[in-house]
Amino acid sequence: MKIIVCCKIVPDEQEIGVLPSKELDLSKASWKISQYDLNAIEAAKKLSSETSGFLTALSVGRSSALEGTKIRKDILSRGPEELALVIDDTHMFSDSLETAKAIAAALKSTDGFDVVLCGTGSGDLYSQEVGIQVGALLDIPTVNNVTDIRPNGNILEVERTLEDGIEVLEVTLPAVLSVTSDINVPSVPAMKEIMRAGKKPVHVLEVPLTDALPSINNLSQQVPDQQERRMIIIEGDDEEAVESLYQFLKKEIL
Amino acid sequence: MPFQSIFVISEKKESLYELCFGARKLSDQVTAVIFGDRTAAENVADCGAKCVLYCPTESCIPEDYCKAIASEVKKSPCALVLLNNSVRSRCIAGKLGAYLDTAVITCASEIVADNGDIVCKRTVYGGAAISSQAFTGSYGVITVGNGIFGDIDAKYPVTEKIEQISEKPECTVKIIARNEKKSGGTNLAAAKRIVDVGRGLASEEDLDMCNQLASLLDAEVGCSRPVAENNKWMPISNYIGLTGTTVKPDLLFALGVSGQVQHIAGINKSKVIVAINKDKNAPIFKNADFGIVGDIYKIVPALIKKLS
Repeated sequence: MKIIVCCKIVPDEQEIGVLPSKELDLSKASWKISQYDLNAIEAAKKLSSETSGFLTALSVGRSSALEGTKIRKDILSRGPEELALVIDDTHMFSDSLETAKAIAAALKSTDGFDVVLCGTGSGDLYSQEVGIQVGALLDIPTVNNVTDIRPNGNILEVERTLEDGIEVLEVTLPAVLSVTSDINVPSVPAMKEIMRAGKKPVHVLEVPLTDALPSINNLSQQVPDQQERRMIIIEGDDEEAVESLYQFLKKEIL
Repeated sequence: MPFQSIFVISEKKESLYELCFGARKLSDQVTAVIFGDRTAAENVADCGAKCVLYCPTESCIPEDYCKAIASEVKKSPCALVLLNNSVRSRCIAGKLGAYLDTAVITCASEIVADNGDIVCKRTVYGGAAISSQAFTGSYGVITVGNGIFGDIDAKYPVTEKIEQISEKPECTVKIIARNEKKSGGTNLAAAKRIVDVGRGLASEEDLDMCNQLASLLDAEVGCSRPVAENNKWMPISNYIGLTGTTVKPDLLFALGVSGQVQHIAGINKSKVIVAINKDKNAPIFKNADFGIVGDIYKIVPALIKKLS
């Protein structure tokens, strides 16, 4: 089975600063694999081993995110045999369709695939729509919120968790699946895998993205006003502390 | 781009009324799309829509109608589509967006008309920022966060225009089983008081202590993402945060919650936040009204004694 796992490289949210204009300062943030895509990579690795498949990772983005060898190795140390990249600085990839069109174009340029796996959403924009839109653009089956994948010959039996129930679906291939962040616990790459990652091939694809135009205009992006909090903080867990807590609760709600 | 007409798509009656109420604030030309038979459509004829289109689903799932719905939407030269933010709705939204050549604005926390434009707000970067966005094309698809339109305070006439959608469904995945989930029964989004359990809890048995505190405070119990997802000590539906449930209780009592930005984004509408954590540098204290730097295993039992 040929499996392609999509992963987005995003700024590390712990390192995002705030400018005096209340806009985000991404300039000092380092790049990392979007955390929900780690679950997609893990699920892809498992499916690949169950089907004696071949796993390729795909990432689309700007050069600032994708040029670094560290991030490339990080992806490759987690299971994929090769990495395909679409690097394009003329796009912001800031809406779900723009990104989906770029991924669809990249997928069309490959020599075929059986399954494309995506995470539930990206750590930065979290629209949770890219996988679905990729499937719809390619006109192939697509399922979101997948919590289990069981290969059965050339079809997949897929469990999808909804708010009020669980669906078991039969999906013919090729297909695009978006997995949840609780489908697995991503494993930490072993030293051997980290060493091997540097030797795995990285292909920079030449894919024209002329169709991938944005359909959303970002008018502004501002840090929300922080809710005023009293911040009465006391230290210690003795009787006195418990009594002040009790008095506070009594005054507020009891 | 002004959107003259709005399509509201919903698989649930409650969210249909809520979305139609919101849609009517933006336009009089509202079409409701529901999944079910003519009787189901007649039952919601007073939702506020000019027309109710029904999609029978005896032998398929709602997603199979996406192309059919897109054809209906395309009959308007420009239109907005509103859905709730459920898993299935997001799937329908994404497909419709692809067929209508538009991105989806997911989980909008505000939708307002501004000079003929529809401007949406949504949270990005795990709660670090709020983005204001507008569609640039003739169509737009939005999934709407819970309760953003407020209480429904309007009554609408019953519409006579009830029609079956004209195109047939296209089955792309086959459903082979469906199990209703046993419901936990907690509705955190509506809870007035919440005990919020974090990773500071050492073991699953210690939830007893938290439950006991909650019952004395007449509170529901929620948790942070890792407690549900990694430890699996509580159902996924009980985790609070930007990607889980967003809450707005009068009192939120955080036990051993560190206060990651995504979690704070889920609790910052609480009126009063009380926090106990061992680590005095935990970000939760910057978001608390009252905090104790100390051991939950000493403080909570002592507090339970006082409250009983």
